[in-house]
Amino acid sequence: MAVVRRRWFQTPWEFRESVLFTASALVAGFFIEFATSGRGLVLPRLPVNAIALSLFAALILSIGLGFRNSPIVKWFGSIPLGLSLIFAIALLSLIGGIVPQDAVSSGSLATRSGFNHIFSSWPFALTIILFLANLGLSLSWKLVPFSMKNIQFILFHAGFWIALSCGIFGSSDLQRLIIPVEEGKAGNLGYTMGSNTPQQLPFSVFLHDFSLEEYAPQLLLYDPHNDKLLMNKSQAVIEVRKGATASWEGLDVLVLDYIPFALPGEKGIPQPAEISTGIPYAKIRISAASVQQETWISTGSPILRPDAATLGNLFLIMVPGTPKSFRSAVTVQDSQGHELMANLEVNKPVKFMDWKLYQMGYDEKAGRWSKLSLIEGIRDPWLPAVYLGFFMIMAGNILFFWNGIKRTESAS
Amino acid sequence: MIINFNTAAIAAIACWALGSLLSLLARRTPALKIPAFILSFSGALVMVAYIAFYWTLLDRPPLRTLGETRLWYAALIPLVGFLVEYRWKIEWLKYYCMGLATFFLVINMLHPEVFDKTLMPALQSPWFIPHVIVYLVGYVLLAASSVTALHNVSLQIRHKENTNGESVSHYLALLGFVLLSFGLIFGALWAKEAWGHYWTWDPKETWAFLSWLAYLGYLHAFSYKIDRSKLQWYLALSFVVLLVCWFGVNYLPSSQNSVHTYTQS
Repeated sequence: MAVVRRRWFQTPWEFRESVLFTASALVAGFFIEFATSGRGLVLPRLPVNAIALSLFAALILSIGLGFRNSPIVKWFGSIPLGLSLIFAIALLSLIGGIVPQDAVSSGSLATRSGFNHIFSSWPFALTIILFLANLGLSLSWKLVPFSMKNIQFILFHAGFWIALSCGIFGSSDLQRLIIPVEEGKAGNLGYTMGSNTPQQLPFSVFLHDFSLEEYAPQLLLYDPHNDKLLMNKSQAVIEVRKGATASWEGLDVLVLDYIPFALPGEKGIPQPAEISTGIPYAKIRISAASVQQETWISTGSPILRPDAATLGNLFLIMVPGTPKSFRSAVTVQDSQGHELMANLEVNKPVKFMDWKLYQMGYDEKAGRWSKLSLIEGIRDPWLPAVYLGFFMIMAGNILFFWNGIKRTESAS
Repeated sequence: MIINFNTAAIAAIACWALGSLLSLLARRTPALKIPAFILSFSGALVMVAYIAFYWTLLDRPPLRTLGETRLWYAALIPLVGFLVEYRWKIEWLKYYCMGLATFFLVINMLHPEVFDKTLMPALQSPWFIPHVIVYLVGYVLLAASSVTALHNVSLQIRHKENTNGESVSHYLALLGFVLLSFGLIFGALWAKEAWGHYWTWDPKETWAFLSWLAYLGYLHAFSYKIDRSKLQWYLALSFVVLLVCWFGVNYLPSSQNSVHTYTQS
């Protein structure tokens, strides 16, 4: 059978036209990016972005419903164009997934082309706008006339439309400020990443106490000549506790005693102390080929020297465990008299007015003794809309999964 | 990695090898079918039991390092093979699956990891287990889909008949896509709680998004009635993107500041 090949731009348009169109959009985007010296796109903030997005949505909906039989509009909302745009987004993401996104080297080719800030560049913005138009048109045709049959399609596609558009249009309203506070003091200034100019916050944070809990300290065998840690026979991190053992080539170590919080005492024997001042001490027995020695070792602290055991050219050292949890006891207050006492902890942010406060970091050099806590304040007025999109996608996916299984049953 | 891992791994591999052998013999002697299944299935059970044992030993879910996740793949991949055999009466997939599981265990035997009980504060979250497990199962299904697609391609090239293969690769990809979507969104919801924002274009996020787009593209091409036999190539190749996302991200220049590098301290 002879296949009649469709000529270029002969309706209905399909993949060829879609690929050409998408490629032109990418080229145009990169051209604008280059012409504007890689400054990317600066989005307006509330309420302008919300108005722009609503108008855009209304425009797509009215074009979709008003001209649903126009071949051009049909093509604009079709799968071939959608697929081409999905691949364009994938291509741009591929660049963003390979080239480090740091955008500091201004003037370089990576900056001018937008490669090092691809997700705020013109080609990305243009592709997303076209994709939202494509997705929106196809959605309008499933929404009107409404049918329960289309519910899975509507949930997934509308959810994706809402999450994507609100995530991107709303990104200009996202505020992320790092608030450094010291114990016993209040802070009301926030810093953005990579900027030294503080911003005034609408509230202040008073830090009562910063505390950090560590995992048990670890025993390590250190070779200073090669600056290397030697792996023990069991291939396990050796947590120090009473009775713990460890073995290296020709060397056995037994922990005879362990005091998690102690201070140096008379005759080199450490005395238990308070949690706030004490450091971990362990009494260890080292058995090598012919010698056996017993000694106390410690992790040290910013004011106490660590004690290590010397074994020829090697050192047996005890290092503090990695952080298990850290928290800040704070009081947050605004000028209207709202007050909140809270414990901020990683994974447990606290809401205050329309801000969310996160335990972010501390003075890592001081570790457990840090008097400084870094708190991050985040305000994202578009979050509920993005989450609505997420939940619609998930609901659509549950139906997709369910229908997929049902269809396999009828197919087999 | 730790105590007794090698014993468990060798036991599981032995179960799969013997099970596969009996299963091949069962083509002539149908009575061997049940013992073959029991043996193959026991291999996966050994891994499940080992994961449970390892979990209690670590006092935390063994889901932190790549080596730990390979234990899960080794347990789950054969189960998908058995499921496909039960559901679509396709026998050959389980051999690939058991082979892949063996491959993962061998990697772990060759590169033992340090046994480490610690879990950094950001990972101490109720989202940790659902996020990782959903992804694990998703990857497993997509791996099986890709293997099926490759098999379909090879049948096409050799002009052999293929009854169910294309619908199996399709439905595995569909289920895998659903789980990828859940993994992506669970990750976003978790990131909001732990790191402050649901999406930061972290390299792992970007690659997860790319993999998701690849399968999103597949599903649309499929619904547009593009020739299914061509789409087998697509499915087989999509898996490459997934592999980069799964293991390769750590080696890319963009990964310097990623929260997802899983390096061992």
